[in-house]
Amino acid sequence: MSAAKHKMREKKMRNQPVSVQYSSSSQGAASSPQNGGDTPVPGGGAAAARQRNPLCQGGWVRGHHKDGGGYSKEMPKYITGIAFARARAAEVSAMLKAVNKTTGSCHVFGALPKHMRRRAMSHNTKRLPCRLRDVANRMREKSLKAGQKKKKEQAKNKSRKARRRHGNLLLEFNRRQRKNMWLETHIWHAKRFHMLKKWGYCLGDRPTYKCYRPCYRAMSSHCLLQDLSYYCCIELQGEEDKLLASLSQLTSKDAGSTFAAALSLSGRRQGSAVVYRAGQYPSQPLGPVTFLWRPRTPGSAHRQLWIWAHPTLKQDLLPELQSVCQCCEAVIPPVAPVITPAGFVAPTPEPELNPEKTPEAKQTPGTKRKRSCKDAVGPPAKKIVGDGTRSPTTPVTWKSSSTGIVINDLTLEIVRYRLIGPQSHSVLTETLEAATDCHAISKSQPSSLWWPEHCKDESKMALHRQQADVFHTLKGIYSTGEVLSGTVLGLTVDDPRLTLPKTKGKAMPSVKQAQEVDEEKRRELMLQGVPEHCCQSFLWDQSVRDNVTHNKISEQELNRMKSEVLVPGSRLSPTPLQGRVPLLLVHQPGKQVGQEMSSWGAGWDLLLPKGWGMAFWVPLVYRGVRTGGLKMSLKHSQNKGAPHFPHDYPDCPAGVRFQEEQEAELLEKFKRRPPAKRTNYIKHGCLAPFRCPWQQLAEEWELIMRAQGEERKGQSQTQTTTETNTLTAEEVTSCHHVTITPQSTFTVLRNRKSLRLLSGWCRPTSSKGQRSCRGGAVPPLDCSSMTSLLLAHVNSLVWVRLSLLSKGKPELHALVCVPTPEDLKLQHKEPGYSGPQEPLLRDHFKSRIKRRKKVSKEAAKSSSSSEKPVGKATELSSASNTIPTSSPIVIPSLAQSCDPISFASSTPPSQTSTLSITPAKDPKSSSSSSDLIFGLWPDPLPSVISHCSRVTLGWVTQGDFSLSAGCGEALGFVSLTGLLNTLLNQPAEQRGLVLLRNPTSLQYRFAKINIEV
Amino acid sequence: MVRQKSRYLLCELNVSDRSRLLLLDDRAVREAVRATVARIHGDYGAALCSLRFSVKYLNAHTGIVFLRCPKNCYRLIWSALPFITSVENQGQKVPCFLNCLHVGGTIRTCQKFLIRYNTQQLHRMLPQCKSEEEKLQVRKAILNCSLIKRNEGGFEDEAESGEDDEE
Repeated sequence: MSAAKHKMREKKMRNQPVSVQYSSSSQGAASSPQNGGDTPVPGGGAAAARQRNPLCQGGWVRGHHKDGGGYSKEMPKYITGIAFARARAAEVSAMLKAVNKTTGSCHVFGALPKHMRRRAMSHNTKRLPCRLRDVANRMREKSLKAGQKKKKEQAKNKSRKARRRHGNLLLEFNRRQRKNMWLETHIWHAKRFHMLKKWGYCLGDRPTYKCYRPCYRAMSSHCLLQDLSYYCCIELQGEEDKLLASLSQLTSKDAGSTFAAALSLSGRRQGSAVVYRAGQYPSQPLGPVTFLWRPRTPGSAHRQLWIWAHPTLKQDLLPELQSVCQCCEAVIPPVAPVITPAGFVAPTPEPELNPEKTPEAKQTPGTKRKRSCKDAVGPPAKKIVGDGTRSPTTPVTWKSSSTGIVINDLTLEIVRYRLIGPQSHSVLTETLEAATDCHAISKSQPSSLWWPEHCKDESKMALHRQQADVFHTLKGIYSTGEVLSGTVLGLTVDDPRLTLPKTKGKAMPSVKQAQEVDEEKRRELMLQGVPEHCCQSFLWDQSVRDNVTHNKISEQELNRMKSEVLVPGSRLSPTPLQGRVPLLLVHQPGKQVGQEMSSWGAGWDLLLPKGWGMAFWVPLVYRGVRTGGLKMSLKHSQNKGAPHFPHDYPDCPAGVRFQEEQEAELLEKFKRRPPAKRTNYIKHGCLAPFRCPWQQLAEEWELIMRAQGEERKGQSQTQTTTETNTLTAEEVTSCHHVTITPQSTFTVLRNRKSLRLLSGWCRPTSSKGQRSCRGGAVPPLDCSSMTSLLLAHVNSLVWVRLSLLSKGKPELHALVCVPTPEDLKLQHKEPGYSGPQEPLLRDHFKSRIKRRKKVSKEAAKSSSSSEKPVGKATELSSASNTIPTSSPIVIPSLAQSCDPISFASSTPPSQTSTLSITPAKDPKSSSSSSDLIFGLWPDPLPSVISHCSRVTLGWVTQGDFSLSAGCGEALGFVSLTGLLNTLLNQPAEQRGLVLLRNPTSLQYRFAKINIEV
Repeated sequence: MVRQKSRYLLCELNVSDRSRLLLLDDRAVREAVRATVARIHGDYGAALCSLRFSVKYLNAHTGIVFLRCPKNCYRLIWSALPFITSVENQGQKVPCFLNCLHVGGTIRTCQKFLIRYNTQQLHRMLPQCKSEEEKLQVRKAILNCSLIKRNEGGFEDEAESGEDDEE
């Protein structure tokens, strides 16, 4: 019987009488002499026993007693009537107990007869008869305590109703935003999206409903809406020449436009640039930014510049900007909360934060106190608009005494929505209406609102009319892509909630409106863009922004006003004066590179003052746009053929951080699977499935090139590289040591000229005369131009777009490999040739993991150290067995000179042996100390480029089936050296062909490299 | 689930020498009953009765025994009980006979009956007491069981009333 069962039985039999008898064992031992000898006991056995043994209740002994010897000695010869009576009485009491107390079952209702028991009694004690109730309650409490183990000891002390009360809800929301800030549309998103905590914000990743294809369709034919408010805006103010002088250190003309680009400097266009650490170009890039200059105000050299950067970039960018502009004096915003907003000076960025923080701080949980508070101070908790988590004393403004430049951190001060798609302009024109003039009466009296004040100024009104006119012209264009990229339009609009349609519809361009628009004006807009003065907006003004944010009519108030309208559903007739919002419309260019699908994914960005986010979001959604999250913006840039930050910037600090995070995440996911169900990446020949060792890749290619160069010098022959076949192990090792010492870091090639050159070289020469039309610009690819390019960019990677020729869907971290000449031949001969296959590699770590498990640690250590070279050798021999079968065929067939692949296929064995033997000592010790993960290579990787049967060029950072191209497309990086080497040795008509292989597959697929500038 | 019904026999072991009663234990009683059943009813009876037969309770001081047997064959045991003349334990023969007081369907009814029976016995004993001390003791015993009864929550009304009458 198990212990628990025994316990149960004991409990059950607790009240049952036990047989009363003298134990047989003791009797057997002691009774025979006792029976012979006469030991009369006067008092009677039972009585004597009771007196001696206080344990026994009721006057007689229960059960078998171990110390039964005591009785056997005094076994009575006779008993008296007293003893008889006493024994009877004891028995009666025992029986009574047994009868009255029910069987030991722990339920109280066991005491009830069966026909009176009810199931619900177990949880509702009121169904029990009164006499059993308190016992049942006690029992129930006990069982509850035992079962829960204080899981929910801290219950919510407030009722749900109290928690959902508006003020308390806001307090709770503000508390929850402490770590990760919410955007203004957070609650809307949280109801519909899978939310991610990223970069200090809560951001929607993807909708909970299935909408991948609808979102793509929206992007390509209608409109997709995204909330990009998490992008950080940094404001720079100062004199133009000083600003430009300091900012010029951050960018370079070689890598595209700079802050000084004429069109963007005038304020008519939004510019974009890649920012480097001051004066460090081409190394140490920080990341891409977009920027916007405020149009010049006549007669002043003071300029205002907004730099929009990704939140992960901001932490690198802001110190850099400060050092460049010499802005080290932090202007601490005034802390005194007693001062009313009127007392604040203009440059403080968030004056309304302080007053709203104080009542919150005064807040106490007691409800009575709160009510009194409400009466006294007003609403107890105000929703924090903008960056509420920042403490009011954190400086957001920095000033420079020498240059006079002021840097303002406007994070979350400006709401930014992005509309992507050809119809986004019609969505905008339908949603927004240029602000209406206000009445003469309101004009005459002074007002605290900004709009009536502006209406008094005739020049401002004229500007407003012009802007409205341009906005009206926007209705006439057919696609958003027609507008010049980066166009900026300032505007003041009415509250869009006033014109909210009753039902959700789809905004389509109406032919009628298009005809109304003057053809001349339309053409002017398309060709010239918006005139410079129309790019001015009051959104640039801190005071106007604050005014607008403060005086927003609440939803509740607006609905009340709507309900008071005479005809239900009609428009609110005198538009409330508060409902005028200044905003900026910024055109976002679509696909600019490549021949096909040009200007795909163009759209508009809508910049709004903070606090107005939801007021614009819902009306936009009611115009039938789709909403997308982070995932969709990734797909957008992928289809657009633009690098996405931080995914496609592995040389930037933010990109490095992102890669580390991604690796940890993927590894965690991988480890969650049981080992038998994991992909064995070693067998698939994938060295690093979760990260890309870019540095190692670039270095190894440099190493090979250097070896080649030495050979070339020795033989003074220009083209051929076959000599590398004879590359000896010593040379490689010596080179290896040489390259290790300088510790150079890789960079991504962003030089426009070089990229243009490469892009020309990547195209097959004989394809339909495309080459001929541009042929003049691109010098022919030969060794001298190649070496000059290589010398200019050491350790470089090139960002490429790869489109698959046949089927296949590239995935994250797929390998980009060099095809062998016979692969190319086969591809040329058979159009349906899908690609070569990688032979399955052996996992010699598997046995080690197994052995580790079996043998004790000490033994395992010694055996692994002895075993390691053997395992390597077997693997190498198998590899070299497969390769020589191909290489002898290759070499004779191609006869002489240019056979770079044979070097690749035959050198790797020698190289891996040399490379792997040199670091062999470290991995042994490290791998035995660190844990080996089944299916993954332990840390010091062997040579990455020559690990498989095809030489690795690079890896894919994003890959998917592209709905716009209709084939698999991937974005990735390849080594510049490797790429040039490959291109040089490929036949002209098949230039730019590479192989792609997913980390979980053995199948190579042909893909074409595109480099687009 | 079907309950396997049993019969419980409440028997009184009567011995000539009361002190020898203390030698008995349940195993001895069981063996004696089984042997007698086998003697009287043969192998058939012995097999039937041995199935779920057990001695549930034995009080060596008062000689009260509870026997359990399957419902269908309790008569076999019952009829065999008078033929028990002695119980042998550890090589000692205790001459005795078994007097069946009650046959019940549950052990509970047997217990109830036993309570009533015992109190009745005590009451009968009281007038026959020889010495004052004895009388006092018996009275105390009666009070004892009745007091406990009251504490337990008043179950046996008739016993209580009878007791009150006596007092």
